Amino acid sequence: MTERVKEQLSAFLDGELPEAEAALLLKRLDRDQELRAALSRYSLIGSVLRSDGDMPAAHGVAARVRAAVAREPRPGAWPTRVYRPVAGLGIAATVAAVSVLLLQPRTEPPLQASAAPELAAESGVLVAAADPPAALVTEPEPEQAPSYTTPPAVDGPGTLPAAQFANYLVAHSGYTSPLARSSVVAGLIAADDPVTDASGVPRHVVGERR
Amino acid sequence: MNARRRLAAALLLLAGPALAADRTGWLERMDRALAGSSYVGDFVSESAGRSQKLRILHRVEDGQVRERLISLSGHGRELIRTGDEVVAYLPDRKLAIIEKRPGSGQLLGVLPRFAAAPAPWYEVIEEGREAALLGPAVVVTLRPADGFRFGYRIWIDEATGMPVRSELRDPAGRVVERMRFTSLAVGGTIPEADFEPAIDPAGLRWVRQAPTPEPASVAWQAAQMPPGFRLSVNGLQAVAGTQGLVNHLVFTDGLASVSVFIHAPAPGTPPVVGSGRAGVASAFSTVVRGHQVTAVGEVPPDTLRYIATGLQPAGSDDQP
Repeated sequence: MTERVKEQLSAFLDGELPEAEAALLLKRLDRDQELRAALSRYSLIGSVLRSDGDMPAAHGVAARVRAAVAREPRPGAWPTRVYRPVAGLGIAATVAAVSVLLLQPRTEPPLQASAAPELAAESGVLVAAADPPAALVTEPEPEQAPSYTTPPAVDGPGTLPAAQFANYLVAHSGYTSPLARSSVVAGLIAADDPVTDASGVPRHVVGERR
Repeated sequence: MNARRRLAAALLLLAGPALAADRTGWLERMDRALAGSSYVGDFVSESAGRSQKLRILHRVEDGQVRERLISLSGHGRELIRTGDEVVAYLPDRKLAIIEKRPGSGQLLGVLPRFAAAPAPWYEVIEEGREAALLGPAVVVTLRPADGFRFGYRIWIDEATGMPVRSELRDPAGRVVERMRFTSLAVGGTIPEADFEPAIDPAGLRWVRQAPTPEPASVAWQAAQMPPGFRLSVNGLQAVAGTQGLVNHLVFTDGLASVSVFIHAPAPGTPPVVGSGRAGVASAFSTVVRGHQVTAVGEVPPDTLRYIATGLQPAGSDDQP
């Protein structure tokens, strides 16, 4: 994602991007793998739409995005399987999620005094996702599957600092069943760098099973 | 004919209790294998759009358990557990987090295990046998009775009792996480050197539990709990990165567990309200009576919300 696109998105979300440019931007989202991957990696949609005042910036943004999407002539052109993770929420929510990500760097994450700032900023533990763990159905089998990694943590006012979440996870892992512990720890020590498969399409929820 | 039918009915009645008694047979076997044997294996964990490879080393020697989990697909993050102490190494962040579980003596019999999955809340189904990594495996499904807990499908190796493959499922039966060993060696000895972190600890900054200055604050209790859950641990504990003591309550239904951390907010820190997720574990934060309450666990997010919002200071009769 270039600086130019980031600026466009930012302007768009601030309601300052001319309509013609906004339409182009939405089209770009349609075909930009990296942008789509970013959307899929972050599961902030729920936080944005369900936020009860804890993410004040998000409300206006979501409304602006909804309005923009209402003007967008062909939202149905978005590839279904990419946006299945946000099924029912649609394009507006997805773009709203981007807005939160882009707006985050402007705010300092709240930190515990003794917590490590750099961990809080980007520990690799996802801290702002209100979505339930996404159902996962993928073929081929896991060992042939492309690797995905935890996105950098996203912090802002009202979200649990990543460092604290990581500490809680470590503390909690001592009280889980052995099998569950592997799962919990896997989430904790997940790596940072995202990797997409050849098509660039993030694999997320791609369907239901049984 | 009639007599035969009666005989068949009688046999069925006899078979019923026998089957019920064996309900958790394979699960007990698996619990024993996971906790009591030494093994080394690589597995793939897939959840929430991420797939990552990990290596686990688990050693039981003279009653001492050591475990090391290494991420093979990233920056070499790892976690090493020795008895009750756990160290998470995050070399990409030049950090190490140390956590010590207090008072392990009181925990005997409290730690969740699969054989303890309570009957009304989990239906245990032996699905049959399938060829798996090490050979034939018994496929066992634990189906949750309500929306407060996740279900499992586990492939248990017949010879070793190890879960060579497992799926975590949401209450609707959809797969939330999939775990699968790609190599696994059970038994044998694992040298001490294999439990040393691969990275040089010298360059790391260590985050550890703060010393515990003040004695204690308020005791907390749950005004509402999901059916089948009970309080298994209620104590004060230092948590790395948090100043002062934290009330740490653990709720379990025998299999799933939820930790609740309660502390007074640090001065100048905005309260945290909202949800988070890392892999299959979720978090839910809220504020109760001026205290920061955060529930963490491998359960559906609604369960965390239900427990966290139902907490109150002990002795309080108010409804949450």
